[in-house]
Amino acid sequence: MPTASPAGSTKNASFMPSLAETQSAIADAVLAGDPRLAPPALIGGHDPRARFGIHIRHYQTSLRRALCEKFPATAWLLGSNFVSAAAAAYARECPPAAPCIAEYGSTFPAFVARLESARLMPYVESFALLEWALGHAAIAVDESAVGWEEFAGMEPARLLDTHLELQAGVDYLRATHPVDDLVRVFLSGEEPVSLELPRTDTLIEVRGSRGSFSMNRLDAGTFAFRTALASGKAIGAAAGGALDVDHAFDAGRALRDLIGRKLVVSIRIDER
Amino acid sequence: MRNAVAPRPVRSPTQAPGAGIGLRLPHLAEVATDAPPVSWLEIHPENFLANPHSRELLAQIAMNYPISLHTVGISIGSADGIDRIHLRRLKVLADDLDPFLVSGHLAWSSVGGRYLNDLLPIPYDAASLQLVASHLDEVQQVLGRAYLVENPASYVGFGHSTMSEIEFLSELVDRTACKLLCDISNLYISGVNMGFDPYDYVDAFPADAVAALHLGGFTAEADAGHGGEILIDTHDNAISDAVWSLYEHALGKFGPKPTLIEWDQALPDLSTLLSEAEHADRIAGRIDEERELHAVAG
Repeated sequence: MPTASPAGSTKNASFMPSLAETQSAIADAVLAGDPRLAPPALIGGHDPRARFGIHIRHYQTSLRRALCEKFPATAWLLGSNFVSAAAAAYARECPPAAPCIAEYGSTFPAFVARLESARLMPYVESFALLEWALGHAAIAVDESAVGWEEFAGMEPARLLDTHLELQAGVDYLRATHPVDDLVRVFLSGEEPVSLELPRTDTLIEVRGSRGSFSMNRLDAGTFAFRTALASGKAIGAAAGGALDVDHAFDAGRALRDLIGRKLVVSIRIDER
Repeated sequence: MRNAVAPRPVRSPTQAPGAGIGLRLPHLAEVATDAPPVSWLEIHPENFLANPHSRELLAQIAMNYPISLHTVGISIGSADGIDRIHLRRLKVLADDLDPFLVSGHLAWSSVGGRYLNDLLPIPYDAASLQLVASHLDEVQQVLGRAYLVENPASYVGFGHSTMSEIEFLSELVDRTACKLLCDISNLYISGVNMGFDPYDYVDAFPADAVAALHLGGFTAEADAGHGGEILIDTHDNAISDAVWSLYEHALGKFGPKPTLIEWDQALPDLSTLLSEAEHADRIAGRIDEERELHAVAG
Protein backbone atom coordinates (compact mmCIF):
# COMPACT_ATOMS: atom_id res chain seq x y z
CA MET A 1 0.00 0.00 0.00
CA PRO A 2 1.45 3.42 -0.87
CA THR A 3 1.95 5.42 2.26
CA ALA A 4 2.09 9.13 2.80
CA SER A 5 3.25 10.84 5.92
CA PRO A 6 0.61 13.35 6.96
CA ALA A 7 3.18 16.09 7.32
CA GLY A 8 5.61 15.02 4.61
CA SER A 9 5.40 15.23 0.83
CA THR A 10 4.61 12.45 -1.56
CA LYS A 11 7.10 11.94 -4.36
CA ASN A 12 6.72 13.76 -7.63
CA ALA A 13 5.72 11.61 -10.57
CA SER A 14 6.93 12.11 -14.11
CA PHE A 15 3.41 11.96 -15.58
CA MET A 16 1.69 15.31 -15.00
CA PRO A 17 -1.74 15.65 -16.57
CA SER A 18 -3.35 19.03 -16.16
CA LEU A 19 -6.00 19.43 -13.48
CA ALA A 20 -8.62 19.98 -16.18
CA GLU A 21 -7.62 16.74 -17.92
CA THR A 22 -7.68 14.86 -14.66
CA GLN A 23 -11.10 16.14 -13.71
CA SER A 24 -12.50 15.51 -17.16
CA ALA A 25 -11.31 11.88 -17.01
CA ILE A 26 -12.81 11.50 -13.54
CA ALA A 27 -16.14 12.92 -14.70
CA ASP A 28 -16.19 10.54 -17.67
CA ALA A 29 -15.54 7.60 -15.36
CA VAL A 30 -18.25 8.68 -12.92
CA LEU A 31 -20.87 9.23 -15.61
CA ALA A 32 -20.02 6.04 -17.49
CA GLY A 33 -20.07 4.13 -14.21
CA ASP A 34 -16.73 2.61 -15.19
CA PRO A 35 -13.79 2.96 -12.76
CA ARG A 36 -11.42 1.72 -15.47
CA LEU A 37 -11.80 5.14 -17.13
CA ALA A 38 -10.42 6.88 -14.03
CA PRO A 39 -6.99 8.50 -14.45
CA PRO A 40 -3.98 6.18 -14.08
CA ALA A 41 -2.41 8.65 -11.66
CA LEU A 42 -4.67 7.50 -8.84
CA ILE A 43 -3.04 5.87 -5.83
CA GLY A 44 -4.47 4.20 -2.75
CA GLY A 45 -4.76 0.56 -1.72
CA HIS A 46 -3.99 -2.38 -3.97
CA ASP A 47 -6.46 -1.34 -6.67
CA PRO A 48 -6.96 2.45 -6.71
CA ARG A 49 -9.42 2.35 -9.59
CA ALA A 50 -11.58 -0.15 -7.75
CA ARG A 51 -11.50 2.22 -4.79
CA PHE A 52 -12.51 5.04 -7.09
CA GLY A 53 -15.66 3.00 -7.67
CA ILE A 54 -16.79 4.32 -4.26
CA HIS A 55 -17.23 7.76 -5.83
CA ILE A 56 -19.09 6.27 -8.80
CA ARG A 57 -21.39 4.40 -6.47
CA HIS A 58 -22.06 7.51 -4.43
CA TYR A 59 -22.96 9.51 -7.51
CA GLN A 60 -25.36 6.87 -8.78
CA THR A 61 -26.89 6.03 -5.41
CA SER A 62 -27.45 9.60 -4.28
CA LEU A 63 -29.13 10.68 -7.51
CA ARG A 64 -31.17 7.51 -7.86
CA ARG A 65 -32.43 7.98 -4.32
CA ALA A 66 -33.20 11.67 -4.92
CA LEU A 67 -35.21 10.90 -8.06
CA CYS A 68 -37.11 8.01 -6.48
CA GLU A 69 -38.04 10.27 -3.54
CA LYS A 70 -39.23 12.91 -5.99
CA PHE A 71 -41.34 10.54 -8.09
CA PRO A 72 -43.06 8.11 -5.70
CA ALA A 73 -46.31 8.19 -7.67
CA THR A 74 -44.46 7.36 -10.88
CA ALA A 75 -42.80 4.46 -9.05
CA TRP A 76 -46.25 3.33 -7.89
CA LEU A 77 -47.46 3.44 -11.48
CA LEU A 78 -44.50 1.81 -13.20
CA GLY A 79 -42.96 -0.20 -10.39
CA SER A 80 -40.21 0.93 -8.05
CA ASN A 81 -37.58 -1.30 -9.65
CA PHE A 82 -38.32 0.13 -13.08
CA VAL A 83 -38.17 3.74 -11.88
CA SER A 84 -35.02 3.03 -9.87
CA ALA A 85 -33.33 1.61 -12.98
CA ALA A 86 -34.63 4.54 -15.05
CA ALA A 87 -33.24 6.96 -12.46
CA ALA A 88 -29.82 5.29 -12.65
CA ALA A 89 -29.85 5.57 -16.45
CA TYR A 90 -31.01 9.18 -16.25
CA ALA A 91 -28.18 10.03 -13.83
CA ARG A 92 -25.69 8.61 -16.35
CA GLU A 93 -27.17 10.38 -19.38
CA CYS A 94 -28.43 13.61 -17.84
CA PRO A 95 -26.18 14.63 -14.96
CA PRO A 96 -27.19 17.59 -12.81
CA ALA A 97 -25.89 20.96 -13.94
CA ALA A 98 -26.06 22.60 -10.51
CA PRO A 99 -25.70 21.65 -6.84
CA CYS A 100 -29.31 21.99 -5.66
CA ILE A 101 -30.55 18.47 -6.24
CA ALA A 102 -34.10 19.62 -5.43
CA GLU A 103 -34.00 21.25 -8.86
CA TYR A 104 -32.72 18.12 -10.61
CA GLY A 105 -35.07 15.91 -12.60
CA SER A 106 -37.26 18.27 -14.60
CA THR A 107 -36.67 16.21 -17.75
CA PHE A 108 -37.03 12.85 -16.00
CA PRO A 109 -40.72 12.55 -17.01
CA ALA A 110 -39.82 12.77 -20.71
CA PHE A 111 -36.88 10.41 -20.18
CA VAL A 112 -39.05 7.78 -18.51
CA ALA A 113 -41.74 8.09 -21.15
CA ARG A 114 -39.22 7.23 -23.89
CA LEU A 115 -38.29 3.92 -22.25
CA GLU A 116 -39.68 0.83 -23.92
CA SER A 117 -41.74 -0.49 -21.01
CA ALA A 118 -43.34 2.88 -20.34
CA ARG A 119 -44.62 3.27 -23.88
CA LEU A 120 -47.56 1.01 -23.04
CA MET A 121 -48.93 3.89 -20.99
CA PRO A 122 -49.07 6.92 -23.28
CA TYR A 123 -49.81 9.22 -20.35
CA VAL A 124 -46.66 8.45 -18.34
CA GLU A 125 -44.94 11.71 -19.20
CA SER A 126 -48.00 13.79 -18.25
CA PHE A 127 -48.42 11.81 -15.05
CA ALA A 128 -44.78 12.32 -14.02
CA LEU A 129 -44.88 16.00 -15.02
CA LEU A 130 -47.92 16.47 -12.81
CA GLU A 131 -46.08 14.79 -9.94
CA TRP A 132 -43.09 17.08 -10.51
CA ALA A 133 -45.37 20.14 -10.51
CA LEU A 134 -47.11 19.02 -7.31
CA GLY A 135 -43.78 18.52 -5.59
CA HIS A 136 -42.71 22.03 -6.46
CA ALA A 137 -46.03 23.56 -5.54
CA ALA A 138 -45.91 21.93 -2.11
CA ILE A 139 -42.61 23.59 -1.18
CA ALA A 140 -43.74 27.04 -2.32
CA VAL A 141 -44.80 29.76 0.08
CA ASP A 142 -47.91 31.82 -0.55
CA GLU A 143 -47.34 35.57 -0.58
CA SER A 144 -49.85 38.25 0.38
CA ALA A 145 -52.42 38.44 -2.39
CA VAL A 146 -53.47 41.55 -4.27
CA GLY A 147 -57.06 42.62 -3.56
CA TRP A 148 -59.65 44.42 -5.67
CA GLU A 149 -58.62 47.77 -4.23
CA GLU A 150 -55.45 47.62 -6.35
CA PHE A 151 -57.62 47.85 -9.44
CA ALA A 152 -60.01 50.49 -8.12
CA GLY A 153 -60.38 53.44 -10.45
CA MET A 154 -58.19 51.86 -13.12
CA GLU A 155 -59.23 52.85 -16.65
CA PRO A 156 -60.18 49.86 -18.83
CA ALA A 157 -57.38 50.59 -21.28
CA ARG A 158 -54.81 50.44 -18.50
CA LEU A 159 -56.38 47.28 -17.16
CA LEU A 160 -55.78 45.60 -20.51
CA ASP A 161 -52.08 46.53 -20.31
CA THR A 162 -51.71 45.18 -16.77
CA HIS A 163 -49.52 42.16 -16.05
CA LEU A 164 -50.26 39.94 -13.08
CA GLU A 165 -47.73 37.95 -11.10
CA LEU A 166 -49.27 34.77 -9.77
CA GLN A 167 -48.38 32.86 -6.61
CA ALA A 168 -45.13 30.88 -6.90
CA GLY A 169 -46.98 27.69 -6.02
CA VAL A 170 -49.27 27.86 -9.05
CA ASP A 171 -48.57 25.85 -12.19
CA TYR A 172 -50.53 24.73 -15.23
CA LEU A 173 -50.39 21.45 -17.06
CA ARG A 174 -52.10 20.35 -20.26
CA ALA A 175 -52.29 16.56 -20.32
CA THR A 176 -53.48 14.16 -22.98
CA HIS A 177 -55.20 11.96 -20.39
CA PRO A 178 -56.95 12.55 -17.03
CA VAL A 179 -53.76 11.91 -15.08
CA ASP A 180 -55.01 13.99 -12.14
CA ASP A 181 -57.60 11.28 -11.46
CA LEU A 182 -54.84 8.69 -11.33
CA VAL A 183 -52.74 10.84 -8.99
CA ARG A 184 -55.78 11.05 -6.70
CA VAL A 185 -55.98 7.26 -6.67
CA PHE A 186 -52.30 7.13 -5.70
CA LEU A 187 -52.83 9.67 -2.93
CA SER A 188 -55.80 7.72 -1.59
CA GLY A 189 -53.66 4.64 -1.13
CA GLU A 190 -56.19 2.54 -3.01
CA GLU A 191 -55.55 0.20 -5.91
CA PRO A 192 -56.53 1.62 -9.31
CA VAL A 193 -59.56 -0.02 -10.93
CA SER A 194 -57.85 0.34 -14.29
CA LEU A 195 -54.65 1.84 -15.60
CA GLU A 196 -56.23 2.48 -18.97
CA LEU A 197 -57.17 6.12 -19.26
CA PRO A 198 -59.30 7.63 -22.03
CA ARG A 199 -57.51 10.05 -24.30
CA THR A 200 -58.99 13.46 -23.50
CA ASP A 201 -57.57 16.95 -23.31
CA THR A 202 -57.13 17.59 -19.58
CA LEU A 203 -56.35 21.09 -18.31
CA ILE A 204 -55.03 21.13 -14.78
CA GLU A 205 -54.16 23.89 -12.36
CA VAL A 206 -51.78 22.89 -9.58
CA ARG A 207 -51.64 24.99 -6.48
CA GLY A 208 -49.62 24.49 -3.33
CA SER A 209 -48.00 26.18 -0.39
CA ARG A 210 -46.24 25.20 2.81
CA GLY A 211 -46.48 21.45 2.41
CA SER A 212 -49.96 21.11 0.95
CA PHE A 213 -51.24 21.10 -2.62
CA SER A 214 -54.38 20.74 -4.70
CA MET A 215 -55.34 20.09 -8.31
CA ASN A 216 -58.21 21.76 -10.17
CA ARG A 217 -59.58 21.10 -13.62
CA LEU A 218 -60.05 24.23 -15.71
CA ASP A 219 -62.17 24.93 -18.78
CA ALA A 220 -60.33 25.82 -21.99
CA GLY A 221 -60.87 29.59 -21.75
CA THR A 222 -59.80 29.89 -18.12
CA PHE A 223 -56.78 27.67 -18.76
CA ALA A 224 -55.70 29.80 -21.72
CA PHE A 225 -56.22 33.01 -19.72
CA ARG A 226 -54.28 31.88 -16.66
CA THR A 227 -51.40 30.22 -18.54
CA ALA A 228 -51.00 33.37 -20.63
CA LEU A 229 -50.90 35.53 -17.49
CA ALA A 230 -48.45 33.13 -15.86
CA SER A 231 -46.20 33.39 -18.93
CA GLY A 232 -46.09 37.19 -18.58
CA LYS A 233 -48.77 38.35 -21.01
CA ALA A 234 -50.91 41.36 -20.13
CA ILE A 235 -54.57 40.93 -19.20
CA GLY A 236 -55.78 42.13 -22.61
CA ALA A 237 -53.62 39.71 -24.56
CA ALA A 238 -54.45 36.85 -22.18
CA ALA A 239 -58.17 37.53 -22.51
CA GLY A 240 -57.83 37.68 -26.31
CA GLY A 241 -56.17 34.27 -26.34
CA ALA A 242 -58.90 32.88 -24.09
CA LEU A 243 -61.63 34.19 -26.40
CA ASP A 244 -59.91 32.45 -29.31
CA VAL A 245 -60.46 29.07 -27.66
CA ASP A 246 -63.77 29.87 -25.95
CA HIS A 247 -66.05 32.46 -27.56
CA ALA A 248 -68.12 32.60 -24.37
CA PHE A 249 -65.12 33.42 -22.20
CA ASP A 250 -65.96 36.13 -19.65
CA ALA A 251 -62.76 38.06 -18.88
CA GLY A 252 -64.30 40.06 -16.03
CA ARG A 253 -65.51 36.98 -14.24
CA ALA A 254 -62.17 35.21 -14.84
CA LEU A 255 -60.30 38.15 -13.32
CA ARG A 256 -62.63 38.30 -10.31
CA ASP A 257 -62.14 34.58 -9.78
CA LEU A 258 -58.36 34.92 -9.96
CA ILE A 259 -58.30 37.69 -7.38
CA GLY A 260 -60.93 36.05 -5.19
CA ARG A 261 -58.82 32.90 -5.00
CA LYS A 262 -55.83 35.02 -3.90
CA LEU A 263 -53.73 33.90 -6.85
CA VAL A 264 -52.36 37.35 -7.75
CA VAL A 265 -49.41 38.67 -5.76
CA SER A 266 -48.46 41.78 -7.73
CA ILE A 267 -49.49 43.90 -10.72
CA ARG A 268 -47.39 45.77 -13.25
CA ILE A 269 -48.74 48.18 -15.84
CA ASP A 270 -47.02 48.69 -19.20
CA GLU A 271 -46.05 52.33 -19.72
CA ARG A 272 -47.25 53.59 -23.07
CA MET B 1 4.19 30.27 -6.22
CA ARG B 2 3.69 31.52 -2.66
CA ASN B 3 1.31 34.37 -2.08
CA ALA B 4 -0.09 34.26 -5.59
CA VAL B 5 -3.26 35.43 -3.89
CA ALA B 6 -2.71 37.96 -1.13
CA PRO B 7 -4.81 37.46 2.00
CA ARG B 8 -7.52 40.07 2.24
CA PRO B 9 -9.41 41.02 5.37
CA VAL B 10 -12.59 39.02 5.91
CA ARG B 11 -14.90 38.66 8.87
CA SER B 12 -13.59 35.99 11.23
CA PRO B 13 -15.96 33.29 12.39
CA THR B 14 -17.36 33.89 15.83
CA GLN B 15 -17.27 31.03 18.27
CA ALA B 16 -20.40 29.22 19.33
CA PRO B 17 -19.95 27.13 22.42
CA GLY B 18 -20.23 23.39 22.49
CA ALA B 19 -21.57 20.81 20.10
CA GLY B 20 -24.16 21.33 17.41
CA ILE B 21 -26.09 18.99 15.17
CA GLY B 22 -26.78 18.85 11.45
CA LEU B 23 -30.32 20.04 10.78
CA ARG B 24 -31.80 17.92 8.00
CA LEU B 25 -35.19 18.42 6.37
CA PRO B 26 -37.01 15.56 8.16
CA HIS B 27 -36.26 17.25 11.52
CA LEU B 28 -37.07 20.78 10.43
CA ALA B 29 -40.65 21.03 11.67
CA GLU B 30 -39.79 19.36 14.98
CA VAL B 31 -36.92 21.75 15.65
CA ALA B 32 -39.05 24.75 14.66
CA THR B 33 -41.83 23.66 17.01
CA ASP B 34 -39.96 22.17 19.97
CA ALA B 35 -36.71 24.20 19.98
CA PRO B 36 -34.65 21.33 21.47
CA PRO B 37 -31.68 22.13 23.70
CA VAL B 38 -28.58 22.23 21.50
CA SER B 39 -25.89 24.87 21.16
CA TRP B 40 -26.10 25.41 17.41
CA LEU B 41 -27.32 23.97 14.13
CA GLU B 42 -25.60 23.28 10.85
CA ILE B 43 -27.38 23.25 7.50
CA HIS B 44 -26.48 22.36 3.95
CA PRO B 45 -27.54 25.44 1.97
CA GLU B 46 -28.26 23.23 -1.04
CA ASN B 47 -31.25 21.76 0.84
CA PHE B 48 -32.80 25.18 1.35
CA LEU B 49 -31.92 27.33 -1.65
CA ALA B 50 -34.58 25.73 -3.84
CA ASN B 51 -37.10 25.06 -1.09
CA PRO B 52 -38.94 28.23 0.01
CA HIS B 53 -41.08 26.47 2.61
CA SER B 54 -38.04 24.96 4.34
CA ARG B 55 -36.27 28.28 4.09
CA GLU B 56 -39.16 29.99 5.83
CA LEU B 57 -38.99 27.47 8.69
CA LEU B 58 -35.22 27.89 8.81
CA ALA B 59 -35.54 31.66 9.21
CA GLN B 60 -37.80 31.02 12.18
CA ILE B 61 -35.33 28.51 13.67
CA ALA B 62 -32.40 30.87 13.12
CA MET B 63 -33.95 33.30 15.58
CA ASN B 64 -33.28 30.75 18.34
CA TYR B 65 -29.97 29.15 17.35
CA PRO B 66 -26.59 30.10 15.90
CA ILE B 67 -26.47 28.65 12.38
CA SER B 68 -23.54 27.24 10.47
CA LEU B 69 -23.69 27.00 6.66
CA HIS B 70 -21.84 23.98 5.34
CA THR B 71 -21.97 24.01 1.57
CA VAL B 72 -21.52 20.85 -0.44
CA GLY B 73 -21.83 22.56 -3.81
CA ILE B 74 -19.27 25.33 -4.14
CA SER B 75 -16.74 23.01 -5.83
CA ILE B 76 -13.72 25.03 -4.79
CA GLY B 77 -11.31 22.70 -6.58
CA SER B 78 -12.96 22.75 -10.02
CA ALA B 79 -10.46 23.39 -12.81
CA ASP B 80 -13.04 25.32 -14.83
CA GLY B 81 -14.07 27.63 -12.03
CA ILE B 82 -16.47 27.79 -9.15
CA ASP B 83 -20.19 28.01 -9.74
CA ARG B 84 -20.75 31.76 -9.42
CA ILE B 85 -24.51 31.49 -9.70
CA HIS B 86 -24.48 29.14 -6.75
CA LEU B 87 -22.11 31.43 -4.89
CA ARG B 88 -24.49 34.35 -5.35
CA ARG B 89 -27.39 32.28 -4.02
CA LEU B 90 -25.23 31.26 -1.08
CA LYS B 91 -24.44 34.89 -0.33
CA VAL B 92 -28.13 35.81 -0.24
CA LEU B 93 -28.77 32.99 2.23
CA ALA B 94 -25.73 33.94 4.32
CA ASP B 95 -26.83 37.56 4.42
CA ASP B 96 -30.29 36.45 5.55
CA LEU B 97 -29.10 34.08 8.28
CA ASP B 98 -25.84 35.72 9.37
CA PRO B 99 -24.26 32.32 10.16
CA PHE B 100 -21.42 32.09 12.68
CA LEU B 101 -19.58 29.69 10.38
CA VAL B 102 -19.48 29.13 6.62
CA SER B 103 -17.59 26.09 5.44
CA GLY B 104 -17.04 23.68 2.59
CA HIS B 105 -14.72 20.94 1.41
CA LEU B 106 -11.28 20.71 -0.09
CA ALA B 107 -12.73 18.92 -3.09
CA TRP B 108 -14.42 19.46 -6.43
CA SER B 109 -17.79 18.39 -7.80
CA SER B 110 -18.36 19.96 -11.20
CA VAL B 111 -16.60 20.14 -14.54
CA GLY B 112 -17.84 21.05 -17.98
CA GLY B 113 -21.29 21.96 -16.71
CA ARG B 114 -21.74 18.54 -15.10
CA TYR B 115 -22.33 18.46 -11.35
CA LEU B 116 -21.23 15.09 -9.98
CA ASN B 117 -22.93 15.29 -6.57
CA ASP B 118 -19.88 13.98 -4.72
CA LEU B 119 -16.78 15.38 -3.09
CA LEU B 120 -14.01 14.36 -5.46
CA PRO B 121 -10.27 14.45 -4.70
CA ILE B 122 -7.74 16.89 -6.08
CA PRO B 123 -4.00 16.40 -6.53
CA TYR B 124 -1.98 18.33 -3.99
CA ASP B 125 0.41 20.28 -6.18
CA ALA B 126 1.27 23.87 -7.08
CA ALA B 127 -1.34 24.16 -9.83
CA SER B 128 -4.16 22.96 -7.58
CA LEU B 129 -2.95 25.19 -4.78
CA GLN B 130 -3.00 28.29 -6.94
CA LEU B 131 -6.43 27.44 -8.30
CA VAL B 132 -8.02 26.64 -4.94
CA ALA B 133 -6.46 29.69 -3.30
CA SER B 134 -7.83 31.89 -6.06
CA HIS B 135 -11.32 30.40 -5.71
CA LEU B 136 -11.17 30.62 -1.96
CA ASP B 137 -10.23 34.26 -2.12
CA GLU B 138 -13.18 34.95 -4.41
CA VAL B 139 -15.59 33.05 -2.16
CA GLN B 140 -14.47 34.94 0.92
CA GLN B 141 -14.66 38.28 -0.82
CA VAL B 142 -18.14 37.62 -2.19
CA LEU B 143 -19.45 36.31 1.11
CA GLY B 144 -17.56 38.90 3.14
CA ARG B 145 -16.77 36.19 5.66
CA ALA B 146 -14.00 33.76 6.47
CA TYR B 147 -14.56 30.40 4.81
CA LEU B 148 -13.60 27.22 6.62
CA VAL B 149 -11.98 24.55 4.46
CA GLU B 150 -12.61 20.95 5.51
CA ASN B 151 -10.12 18.11 5.11
CA PRO B 152 -11.69 15.39 2.93
CA ALA B 153 -12.30 11.70 3.59
CA SER B 154 -9.95 10.04 1.13
CA TYR B 155 -10.21 6.73 -0.67
CA VAL B 156 -7.63 7.56 -3.34
CA GLY B 157 -4.91 10.14 -3.91
CA PHE B 158 -2.75 11.15 -6.86
CA GLY B 159 0.73 9.85 -7.65
CA HIS B 160 1.77 13.27 -8.92
CA SER B 161 0.89 15.14 -5.73
CA THR B 162 3.92 17.08 -4.58
CA MET B 163 2.78 18.04 -1.10
CA SER B 164 0.84 16.49 1.73
CA GLU B 165 -2.71 17.44 2.57
CA ILE B 166 -1.54 19.31 5.63
CA GLU B 167 1.05 21.26 3.64
CA PHE B 168 -1.66 22.11 1.14
CA LEU B 169 -4.10 23.29 3.83
CA SER B 170 -1.38 25.29 5.58
CA GLU B 171 -0.52 27.06 2.33
CA LEU B 172 -4.19 27.89 1.80
CA VAL B 173 -4.34 29.47 5.24
CA ASP B 174 -1.20 31.51 4.54
CA ARG B 175 -2.40 32.71 1.17
CA THR B 176 -6.05 33.43 1.86
CA ALA B 177 -6.45 33.85 5.62
CA CYS B 178 -9.10 31.14 5.47
CA LYS B 179 -9.88 29.02 8.50
CA LEU B 180 -9.91 25.25 8.73
CA LEU B 181 -12.60 22.80 9.64
CA CYS B 182 -10.95 19.68 10.98
CA ASP B 183 -13.22 16.72 10.34
CA ILE B 184 -12.01 14.19 12.88
CA SER B 185 -13.88 11.33 11.25
CA ASN B 186 -12.51 12.21 7.83
CA LEU B 187 -8.95 12.20 9.00
CA TYR B 188 -9.49 8.89 10.81
CA ILE B 189 -11.03 7.44 7.64
CA SER B 190 -8.22 8.83 5.46
CA GLY B 191 -5.60 7.52 7.89
CA VAL B 192 -6.97 3.99 7.68
CA ASN B 193 -7.55 4.15 3.92
CA MET B 194 -4.32 5.88 2.91
CA GLY B 195 -2.01 4.40 5.51
CA PHE B 196 -1.05 7.16 7.92
CA ASP B 197 -1.45 7.67 11.64
CA PRO B 198 -4.40 10.02 12.31
CA TYR B 199 -2.87 11.09 15.63
CA ASP B 200 0.24 12.28 13.78
CA TYR B 201 -2.07 14.12 11.37
CA VAL B 202 -3.79 15.95 14.25
CA ASP B 203 -0.41 16.85 15.74
CA ALA B 204 0.78 18.28 12.42
CA PHE B 205 -2.48 20.10 11.63
CA PRO B 206 -2.22 23.92 11.73
CA ALA B 207 -3.98 24.30 15.08
CA ASP B 208 -4.15 28.10 15.03
CA ALA B 209 -6.38 28.02 11.96
CA VAL B 210 -8.85 25.46 13.29
CA ALA B 211 -12.27 27.07 13.79
CA ALA B 212 -14.53 24.02 14.05
CA LEU B 213 -14.56 20.24 14.25
CA HIS B 214 -16.80 17.61 12.65
CA LEU B 215 -17.70 14.13 13.87
CA GLY B 216 -19.65 11.58 11.85
CA GLY B 217 -20.24 7.89 11.41
CA PHE B 218 -18.57 5.72 8.81
CA THR B 219 -19.04 2.26 7.35
CA ALA B 220 -16.35 -0.37 6.79
CA GLU B 221 -16.36 -2.60 3.74
CA ALA B 222 -13.91 -4.93 2.04
CA ASP B 223 -11.14 -3.17 0.15
CA ALA B 224 -10.57 -4.40 -3.38
CA GLY B 225 -7.56 -6.56 -4.10
CA HIS B 226 -6.71 -7.76 -0.60
CA GLY B 227 -8.30 -8.81 2.65
CA GLY B 228 -8.30 -5.42 4.32
CA GLU B 229 -11.07 -2.97 4.98
CA ILE B 230 -11.80 0.46 3.60
CA LEU B 231 -13.79 3.01 5.55
CA ILE B 232 -16.56 4.94 3.78
CA ASP B 233 -17.68 8.35 4.99
CA THR B 234 -21.38 7.47 5.09
CA HIS B 235 -22.68 9.66 7.94
CA ASP B 236 -25.28 6.98 8.55
CA ASN B 237 -24.57 5.71 12.04
CA ALA B 238 -23.17 6.58 15.46
CA ILE B 239 -19.68 7.94 15.96
CA SER B 240 -17.21 5.15 16.62
CA ASP B 241 -15.13 4.79 19.77
CA ALA B 242 -11.96 5.25 17.71
CA VAL B 243 -13.20 8.64 16.49
CA TRP B 244 -14.28 9.72 19.98
CA SER B 245 -10.75 8.92 21.20
CA LEU B 246 -9.22 10.90 18.36
CA TYR B 247 -11.62 13.76 19.16
CA GLU B 248 -10.27 13.85 22.72
CA HIS B 249 -6.75 14.05 21.35
CA ALA B 250 -7.75 16.82 18.94
CA LEU B 251 -9.38 18.88 21.69
CA GLY B 252 -6.18 18.59 23.67
CA LYS B 253 -4.28 19.90 20.68
CA PHE B 254 -6.72 22.53 19.35
CA GLY B 255 -8.55 23.60 22.49
CA PRO B 256 -12.35 23.82 22.71
CA LYS B 257 -13.99 24.25 19.31
CA PRO B 258 -17.55 24.21 18.00
CA THR B 259 -18.12 20.56 17.15
CA LEU B 260 -20.72 19.22 14.75
CA ILE B 261 -22.47 15.86 14.90
CA GLU B 262 -23.00 14.91 11.24
CA TRP B 263 -25.67 12.36 10.39
CA ASP B 264 -27.11 12.53 6.88
CA GLN B 265 -28.30 9.07 5.88
CA ALA B 266 -30.54 6.64 7.79
CA LEU B 267 -31.43 9.66 9.89
CA PRO B 268 -32.35 8.70 13.47
CA ASP B 269 -34.69 10.48 15.88
CA LEU B 270 -33.63 13.95 16.86
CA SER B 271 -33.00 12.66 20.40
CA THR B 272 -30.20 10.41 19.12
CA LEU B 273 -28.42 13.37 17.55
CA LEU B 274 -28.87 15.42 20.71
CA SER B 275 -27.45 12.55 22.75
CA GLU B 276 -24.35 12.42 20.52
CA ALA B 277 -23.93 16.19 20.93
CA GLU B 278 -24.22 15.86 24.72
CA HIS B 279 -21.52 13.18 24.60
CA ALA B 280 -19.24 15.53 22.64
CA ASP B 281 -19.93 18.28 25.21
CA ARG B 282 -19.06 15.96 28.10
CA ILE B 283 -15.74 15.05 26.49
CA ALA B 284 -14.97 18.69 25.77
CA GLY B 285 -15.84 19.61 29.35
CA ARG B 286 -13.52 16.96 30.75
CA ILE B 287 -10.64 17.97 28.46
CA ASP B 288 -11.19 21.59 29.47
CA GLU B 289 -11.09 20.69 33.17
CA GLU B 290 -7.88 18.73 32.64
CA ARG B 291 -6.39 21.70 30.82
CA GLU B 292 -7.28 24.01 33.70
CA LEU B 293 -5.84 21.57 36.24
CA HIS B 294 -2.62 21.43 34.22
CA ALA B 295 -2.51 25.21 34.12
CA VAL B 296 -3.00 25.45 37.90
CA ALA B 297 -0.46 22.71 38.59
CA GLY B 298 2.02 24.24 36.15
